[in-house]
Amino acid sequence: MRKLATILRYTAIAFICMLSLTPFVILTILALNTPKKNLYEGNMFIPEFYFGNFAEGWVKSNIGRAMINSGIITLLSVALIVILGAMAGYAISRFDFKFNKGIYGTLLCCMMVPGIINTVPLYTLMIKLNAINTLWGMALVCATLSIPQAVFVFTGFIKSIPVEIEEAAIIDGCSWHKIFWKIIFPLLKPAISAVVILNGFGIWNNYSQAVFFLQDRSKHNVPQALSVYFQQFAGAKWNLMAATALIAILPVIIAFLIFQKSLMKGLMDGAIKG
Amino acid sequence: MNRKKIGIHTFMALPAFLLFLIFFIYPLLRGIGMSLTDWNGISKANFIGLKNFIDFFKDKRAISDIRTTLLFALGSAPLLNIVGLSYALLMNSKFKGKSIARMFIYMPAIISPLIMGYIWSLLLQPGRGYIHHMLEKIGWAQGLGNWMSSYWSTMLVLILVNVWQYAGMTMVIYLAGLQSIPDELYESAKIDGASSIKQFKYITLPLLEPSIRINVVTNIIGSLSVFDVVMSLTGGGPGYQTETLSIYIMRMCYGSKTGYSTAVAIIMFFIILIPVIISLRLTRAKE
Repeated sequence: MRKLATILRYTAIAFICMLSLTPFVILTILALNTPKKNLYEGNMFIPEFYFGNFAEGWVKSNIGRAMINSGIITLLSVALIVILGAMAGYAISRFDFKFNKGIYGTLLCCMMVPGIINTVPLYTLMIKLNAINTLWGMALVCATLSIPQAVFVFTGFIKSIPVEIEEAAIIDGCSWHKIFWKIIFPLLKPAISAVVILNGFGIWNNYSQAVFFLQDRSKHNVPQALSVYFQQFAGAKWNLMAATALIAILPVIIAFLIFQKSLMKGLMDGAIKG
Repeated sequence: MNRKKIGIHTFMALPAFLLFLIFFIYPLLRGIGMSLTDWNGISKANFIGLKNFIDFFKDKRAISDIRTTLLFALGSAPLLNIVGLSYALLMNSKFKGKSIARMFIYMPAIISPLIMGYIWSLLLQPGRGYIHHMLEKIGWAQGLGNWMSSYWSTMLVLILVNVWQYAGMTMVIYLAGLQSIPDELYESAKIDGASSIKQFKYITLPLLEPSIRINVVTNIIGSLSVFDVVMSLTGGGPGYQTETLSIYIMRMCYGSKTGYSTAVAIIMFFIILIPVIISLRLTRAKE
């Protein structure tokens, strides 16, 4: 009886894993077919191992440029989120003023407001600031959308750090500047990695803000570049579309494989605290 | 530490708040003002009071968009929670390859939903997608059929793709909750002779409350503001049938109905706020 349950459990888990991976496997098969391969004929599970699609997709789409753009946007906004979020989290968790409490409350309330709602007025503001079609403008928008959650995570984390360390540093005549950057900031590593990973993928993949703020083709990010490339085929050249989609998701998958341990840990820690 | 001493360090939350004030709160307030005008994005705006809001409820396309958005959320949010919780229960034991399995299941969630929608459209295209041919090969002559020809089957595909993509994310949060439940509780329940159904009802579910709250709220917000998947899988089509509110906002903004689009955004905000507040109340009431 118990053995049966174990077998059932393993089968179910194997099935779920397959379900999650199948689209990626099929995508790879499609990407490795020659343009002439017809899906009706021959074995559809074994591709022809033709790698020309990747080269053609890379050259004809804007995906290379878009990856650089997405990379710059992600780096800039993640840096902003971490630095500003950690500073805010420190002030809010250590100095219990009405002012700080008000900031914290406002940010938490706005966490429930989805980004798309203020996009149109933000668009007119961005035009005034000459920030439309600029990577820094997009980075500022993305960072802003992640600030509430980052402040929330940092505040919770800093509250769990004992105050005694700082008190000792004050007695030694340490300045606040030094206490924060030399003592507190290095202790924040787990929270920083959680915040970076939680927001990094979303910013790299952002589409609903990019549609508004990055309209110039040279400033497109990865989802936009792929979308433009796909629309010109209207569903015809599958091998090329599959190969380009694979190129587009490859950096994310590599980053995920490298960071997956801390990603899982960050997600789980964040979940328990929330 | 002297906490009452005011200095620059006590205002360290200010930079983050200023950024938020400029790029979030200010546009939010401006949007409320804009929604009361007939602004088209270029020429001078005229104050027209609540006309945009009244127009919205007379706008057939907008009403159809509300229906689609609500239907998507009603299908997607509960299903995501059920699937995510069952995945988590299944994965919440020690077995070989656990972290690899968890990684595979989570993987779809890190990929851009827009790109994921395109990938699924490659696989599911009626009449010529890969899965269509695969089903034909194994003797299912109809293949997938033309799911895009009917509203309900198109919605079903959109919901299933969304659930497929985010099941792993929901699972991880439930897993974290499950792992924070002490084993002793289950052991003493077993000694008292409680069945596993009773254990689930009286131990697991109540102690999962924080995870349930996070998942329910994030899934409600996420599914009601859905944009990317629908854009890439159906583009809102056929016609405007599967268009959601957030796509409508974008199209109205580009269609030189800027004032109107901000009014739609404010209505959408309340559509999201109401279920979020209700679910927060419901989960908090039990504590």
